[in-house]
Amino acid sequence: MLNATPRSHMDASATRGHSEDKPISERYSRQIAFAPIGERGQKRLASATVLIVGCGALGASLAQHMVRAGVGRVIIADRDYVEPSNLQRQVLFDESDARAALPKAAAAAEKLRRINSEIHIEAHVMHVGIDNVWRLTEDADLVLDGTDNTGTRLLLSDVCFQLGIPFVYGGVVGSRGMSALLLPDTTACLRCLIGNEDAAGETEGCDTAGVLSPVVEFVASLQAVEALKWLSGNGAEVRKSWLSADLWSFGVTEAALPNPSPGCLHCAPGRLRRRCDERKEQSASMTRYYTPPIVLCGRNSVQVTLEAPLSTDQAEAALKANPAAKLTRNRYLLKAEWENGESLVYFPDGRVLVQGTTDADRALALCKRLYHQPSRT
Amino acid sequence: MSEIKNWRNFRLYVITAADCHPGRELIQVMEQTLIGGADMLQLRNKTGSKREVLEQAKALRELTSKYGVPFIVNDHPDIALEAEADGVHLGQEDMPIAEARQRLGSGKIIGISTQCVEQALAAQAAGADYIGAGPVFPTRTKPDRAAVTTEYIRQAAEAVSIPVVAIGGITPDNAETVLAAGAKRLCAVSAIVGSEDPAAVCLALRKTIAAAGGWQKRLITLNGLAHPTSASRLDELIHLLGQGEKRLVAELDGTVVPRSQWARTLLSEGAKLELVHFVGGG
Repeated sequence: MLNATPRSHMDASATRGHSEDKPISERYSRQIAFAPIGERGQKRLASATVLIVGCGALGASLAQHMVRAGVGRVIIADRDYVEPSNLQRQVLFDESDARAALPKAAAAAEKLRRINSEIHIEAHVMHVGIDNVWRLTEDADLVLDGTDNTGTRLLLSDVCFQLGIPFVYGGVVGSRGMSALLLPDTTACLRCLIGNEDAAGETEGCDTAGVLSPVVEFVASLQAVEALKWLSGNGAEVRKSWLSADLWSFGVTEAALPNPSPGCLHCAPGRLRRRCDERKEQSASMTRYYTPPIVLCGRNSVQVTLEAPLSTDQAEAALKANPAAKLTRNRYLLKAEWENGESLVYFPDGRVLVQGTTDADRALALCKRLYHQPSRT
Repeated sequence: MSEIKNWRNFRLYVITAADCHPGRELIQVMEQTLIGGADMLQLRNKTGSKREVLEQAKALRELTSKYGVPFIVNDHPDIALEAEADGVHLGQEDMPIAEARQRLGSGKIIGISTQCVEQALAAQAAGADYIGAGPVFPTRTKPDRAAVTTEYIRQAAEAVSIPVVAIGGITPDNAETVLAAGAKRLCAVSAIVGSEDPAAVCLALRKTIAAAGGWQKRLITLNGLAHPTSASRLDELIHLLGQGEKRLVAELDGTVVPRSQWARTLLSEGAKLELVHFVGGG
């Protein structure tokens, strides 16, 4: 794991504890004037922690909403880096981020700090999986879904229901979007609603079916407003429905969320109270959901996790010996591109995104190039 | 999963048995079954040469197309493909479903005979589009098989969401018992094609099925449109719509139905259902 938060920002966050003594800044005056939030709600926001998993289109918009609204601590985790095709809808990124192939979490954190320096922003360039999800989630008061795949959503739902914190699902594709706040001990979990990993094929993604930027903003707004209700102490006001919309043909439907399912491992009534002690056991039993390498559907990419991370220097030396590779390096990652269109991006936590293939074996073969021993003369 | 529209609505499945009607032409006998209301037809010829089977398949394909009835070939994916049949029917000892699927592609129907719930569940898991359940009664079509009794029909109807067709020794006289056990689809062989008047037997069977409620359709509202359906449960409807492999969110009368509850959720007359594809991009 690579924590992209520079030390100085970590230290700056220590001032957060004093925020209750200081007058609430003018910055939030219009939000405080909104009666259900008021000064009291604003203070609660300042002491709240929100986790945003995935910092693509939804995640970037969500992060902006949370940071502008004054949520005291915003944790962002994303495994990807900025590419030109993101710029049409991912509001925190610009052309220079794409040129530099900056990780989304790092590029977002930089923009967010310029928007609101009072917020403690923690950016993690990482793949969120069973091995790190607990550590990431345990401080959060609420988890916002900015992911692009069912597997990670189900994992987050499981963890949120185990920890007893709300999970705010959002999804977009084409001109359609959906959102719901799933609340432990009150609603069923995502796994009950949409089925397990193997219940159905992967859904259409933005890479194959496209996505419109206004739909992203619509769904991110739906998610953000529920988060603000919950985090400002207005939990009783959250929308208890599953909302589906198509902004092109225009139609919105809302359906009530069912109660927790008796017998569900994650959301069955009363399960929450018994759970805290069992957490470690549960997490061990959940490892079956994590199987690298991961073929990223519709993205022509495979994610491989090396058993032991190499240093970026080692990786660069190995790839340099392969003269056909064009190398780009920044402080977060190393990218190698070959003429046949294949490329790999190496993150110092041992994670490799292999692009230009959906074949796991081919991806592993390309990863072997990271171990190439440069011949010495 | 088949591309043939609405084939799952079938109720009376007829299988050829040329040795039951010596002296009469296969095509003529089978046309009589279609006139009588058979709505799924299978060519079963275990003794003929491949060439003979192919010729029969081509002729039956032409006939069933005229009546808009799905046509299935027993055992031979290659013949099914060449004759442009809608699918194949396998026995437990025939090639695995996966192999047949690979040869036929996703657009064809694959059915398989089952004798117990384990086989029924395995068939569904392996991607079968329907199962035969039987023999319900001892039959001379399969003299070496012990009858599974109507108890298995009841179990199979509860265990799987793909169509179940009861088969084996079924006649107009005992059809009611089979339907009472939970069967919605019947298959008869010798009782139909061995009769002097196959059309009349088919008509009688259809009447019995109709009386048992198997032809009755509920009218529900699906995504805002009136939708008559023979499905009684949510999972059945979703399979009938060919959406079983998709990740859907089902909203019934204003509440999301958890996927785990689909098989236990009954569709009542006038139900309002919204089925939407889960949206997964971010």
